[in-house]
Amino acid sequence: MDGKVIVVTSGKGGVGKTTVTASIGAALALQGKRVAVVDMDIGLRNLDVVMGLENRIVFNIVDIIQGKCKLKQAAIKDRRIDNLYLIPASQSHEKNVIKPENMVWLCSKMKKEFDFTLLDCPAGIEQGFKNSIAAADQAIVVCTPEVSSVRDADRVIGLLYARNITPKLIINRIVPKMVESGDMLSHDDIIEVLSIDLVGLVEMDDKVVVSTNTGTPLIMQKDSKAGNAFQRIAMRLDGHPDLPIENPMDQKGFWKRISKKFSRKN
Amino acid sequence: MKINALLKKLFNKTDSKDVAKKRLKFALIYDKLEIRDDMLGNLQQDLIEVISRYFEIDKKSIVLDIQRSDECSALVFNTPILSAKRIQEQPAA
Ligand SMILES: Nc1ncnc2c1ncn2[C@@H]1O[C@H](COP(=O)(O)OP(=O)(O)OP(=O)(O)O)[C@@H](O)[C@H]1O
Ligand SMILES: [Mg+2]
Repeated sequence: MDGKVIVVTSGKGGVGKTTVTASIGAALALQGKRVAVVDMDIGLRNLDVVMGLENRIVFNIVDIIQGKCKLKQAAIKDRRIDNLYLIPASQSHEKNVIKPENMVWLCSKMKKEFDFTLLDCPAGIEQGFKNSIAAADQAIVVCTPEVSSVRDADRVIGLLYARNITPKLIINRIVPKMVESGDMLSHDDIIEVLSIDLVGLVEMDDKVVVSTNTGTPLIMQKDSKAGNAFQRIAMRLDGHPDLPIENPMDQKGFWKRISKKFSRKN
Repeated sequence: MKINALLKKLFNKTDSKDVAKKRLKFALIYDKLEIRDDMLGNLQQDLIEVISRYFEIDKKSIVLDIQRSDECSALVFNTPILSAKRIQEQPAA
């Protein structure tokens, strides 16, 4: 059976697309799936360093599309996690060298080799975005609890609907303490204005920075809250859509732990 | 309720996230109302064409505009009528 192509996108930059792609990719592979993550940011590659694979790049996505190498030659195998591969972006090309029809061709090949192909979309809604959504079966929209980010997410959601894709939302960089004190939009607020289904809530976590410093998968860090959230998102994408979404809570204090018990219902 | 939240309520302070939510809702509505520059012009041309079949109008003093307030947005079309046409002209094919 053919695999799925999922695009990770946001509109606004710096909200966590690359972090999401790397972490969910690693989690899906650890769950036994064959996974490829693709850096779609031509000219500004990023996913390779986040995954700690930057020293092993030989070929890139443009080389595959221009017929200079085979898909298998460009796919870098992660040595820590079985069945996880990276297709890096090109540093030296203009972003317009890839056309949407090239992606349709590439993804049809990827689907034969991988259960999941995750496309790490560049910020914006220009060429890189158009290329990324051209061949996607599903979409994950990432936003943070900020006005500008949610507004851009709305724009991107509209563009995805226009392509007959019903996206799912990840809210990243939640600071539970601020949500509780009323100084940060809660996920309920965001869902209310965006009318989209959630697939996960990820809190602000220092371990994300630590893991990108060292290029080790966040999923492999012990008790990382963000890592756990990504793991559960991966399960939801892979056959467990009804796995409950936990609401990040400020875990200090007895009363908060009690209230956490009662807020598990979503 | 936390002490902070309670104090906030007591002093009638609004949460900043409620301000954010309200601004967001308006921003999304406004974004969807944004139209291309030439669209209003084309619409005005079409409206003049249709209305002139029924009325003599003063084409120069026509105003077509989108008015936005906090509550709603409206397309406002204002045209002085000189006279109604007695015999309705056949619409041009
Ligand atoms: N949950 C989190 N907790 C803490 N830091 C985070 C979290 N998610 C992302 N970050 C940090 O935020 C920054 C931006 O993340 P990332 O590079 O994944 O965003 P992006 O959407 O891919 O950006 P771009 O639009 O530039 O491609 C990075 O420094 C990353 O480490
Ligand atoms: Mg990125």
